Amino acid sequence: MSRLERLLNLTAALLTATRPLSRDDLHERVPGYPADDAKGSFRRAFERDKEALRDMGIPVVVEPIPGTDPPVDGYRIPRDQYALRDPGLEPDELAAINLAAAAVQLEGLRGTEALWKLGGSPVRATTDQSLAAIPTIPALGPLFAAVSERSRVTFSYRGEVRRVDPHRLSFARGHWYLDGYDHDRQALRQFRLDRLEGDVSVGPSDSFERPPASGAEPPRPWEMGDEAPLEARLRVDADLAGWALDHLGPEALVATGPDGSVELALRVTNREAFRSFVIGFLDHAEILAPPELRDDLIRWLTALAR
Amino acid sequence: MARPGADARLRRLLALVPWVVAHDGPTVEEVCARFGLGADELVADLDLVFLCGVHPFTPDSLIDVVVAEGRVWIRYADYLERPLRLTPEEGLALVAAGTAALAVPGADTRGPLVSGLSKLAAVLGVDPGEAVDVELGATPEGVVETLRHALAASRQIEIDYYAYGRDERTRRVVDPHAVFAAEGQWYLRAYCHLARSVRRFRVDRIRGLEVLDRPLERGPGDSGGPGTTLFEPRPGDPRVVLDLEPKARWVSEQYPLEALEELGAGRCRVTLAVSERAWLERLLLRLGPAVTAASGADGVAAAAAARVLARYRPRLASTET
Repeated sequence: MSRLERLLNLTAALLTATRPLSRDDLHERVPGYPADDAKGSFRRAFERDKEALRDMGIPVVVEPIPGTDPPVDGYRIPRDQYALRDPGLEPDELAAINLAAAAVQLEGLRGTEALWKLGGSPVRATTDQSLAAIPTIPALGPLFAAVSERSRVTFSYRGEVRRVDPHRLSFARGHWYLDGYDHDRQALRQFRLDRLEGDVSVGPSDSFERPPASGAEPPRPWEMGDEAPLEARLRVDADLAGWALDHLGPEALVATGPDGSVELALRVTNREAFRSFVIGFLDHAEILAPPELRDDLIRWLTALAR
Repeated sequence: MARPGADARLRRLLALVPWVVAHDGPTVEEVCARFGLGADELVADLDLVFLCGVHPFTPDSLIDVVVAEGRVWIRYADYLERPLRLTPEEGLALVAAGTAALAVPGADTRGPLVSGLSKLAAVLGVDPGEAVDVELGATPEGVVETLRHALAASRQIEIDYYAYGRDERTRRVVDPHAVFAAEGQWYLRAYCHLARSVRRFRVDRIRGLEVLDRPLERGPGDSGGPGTTLFEPRPGDPRVVLDLEPKARWVSEQYPLEALEELGAGRCRVTLAVSERAWLERLLLRLGPAVTAASGADGVAAAAAARVLARYRPRLASTET
């Protein structure tokens, strides 16, 4: 008997159980298990199968079997937890989701199987349909579960343990971020997820209220710091003015010169990151003010020009 | 292709069985196409389903599978009639893909994708737009839409492009092959008639764009999907050797290296292929004292620093504006 057959029979037994089934019950009802020998062959095979089912998202619950004394634990799969709630998608809505899943590649996430469950028809995108590739990281799955179930998460970030109410995930400028309330800092914080260290542990659900999205963009590198804020004025030559405006947004524009150059205002709380940003323009930009930022760049470059 | 393992086959069966149950006798071809199976694989899986059921495994407690005249029926599997709920990863995959598709410039933000995502989000227990946000990259107004039109119509385009690595602006005629977002940026892949080869252009550095009334001379052929690496060193590129202080070590993780040698105390020596001088200038100026050019970059940082400083010189005496 194949392992697949045994797994399917185990799933069927647990789904149809009217009461939690003990390991012995299951040994009797599900064909294909080895004998319960001294080496624990059955027990090991059963544990492995149970983990395989849980890994694919099947809710195998453990409950005391009614009427047992001392209590004996049994297993079952509650049908209401097992089954997908029908979202009631219209054909055109399902087709639009199919297309989106084909056009956007989320590396390493199983979009295909999700579409099967929804009754969709996964299509492989041709090169001209491919619109975007988005990298993913292993922590995204547990974090999305925590965001949707409103569970507090604990993880290590920059060498410190953080306890966070996860409000939302965002992908911007090539990276995934988590926004949430940091209980240790007692403030809203944003975490870049590729800098998260180790595993995420997820607490009980419904442990906080999600505040509405602020619509604020993730901070720029020069805004990610705790230095006293400075308002920088930057002139960018005409050649790169359009690029700078696309990236910084129209609200950064202070004035446009007759030659097409632009003067921009930026709030800086991380001077090193700001210097790095300005260097990207090479000699097509100039810090106009304040003097401390201008002098900082001059000093930095003077040391290198020697 | 390797045969999928028992776990993968079970996941597929738990989706396939409810679908067949719900569709009164779909054809074998339909089932195979939808679930990415060969006919022999489908038959093997169905043979196995046929042997499954619940204790005591009398005929009426076994799942009934009938394959006749190229169609498939499955009965007595009422406990499998609903698909398994979505895992968090699967939910995220669809919500993120849908949200990303809506972030494409020119996307229909009132159509079925929006209403579909909102129904899906409700099942997953999240408010649409509240749990996941995707931004694909800044682009000049209308450029992605125009590029996609040119692509659909197979028309040449002329672009005014800022080449970052060379720090220069040029006009060039290109044959567009693909437009896509990757790593936080929008890209155009096209055959460039100036460079006489296929190049990848960053859409945010396209300043002017004109669709020409001329067909493509060099079609896409197989120039690779969006997954191709963004930085591909060529054999003829000059090599530079840099000594990195611990603070600059990220360089060794960010860029493809020709060689890496540990120097102790967290310092390392790396060899990089550098085709464009302005790219190297920016790297050296940003790293400052955290990098020492061991070879191949003599005087590059000093000359670049002097050139940028020249902008500040007339005003060095007074830094007030």
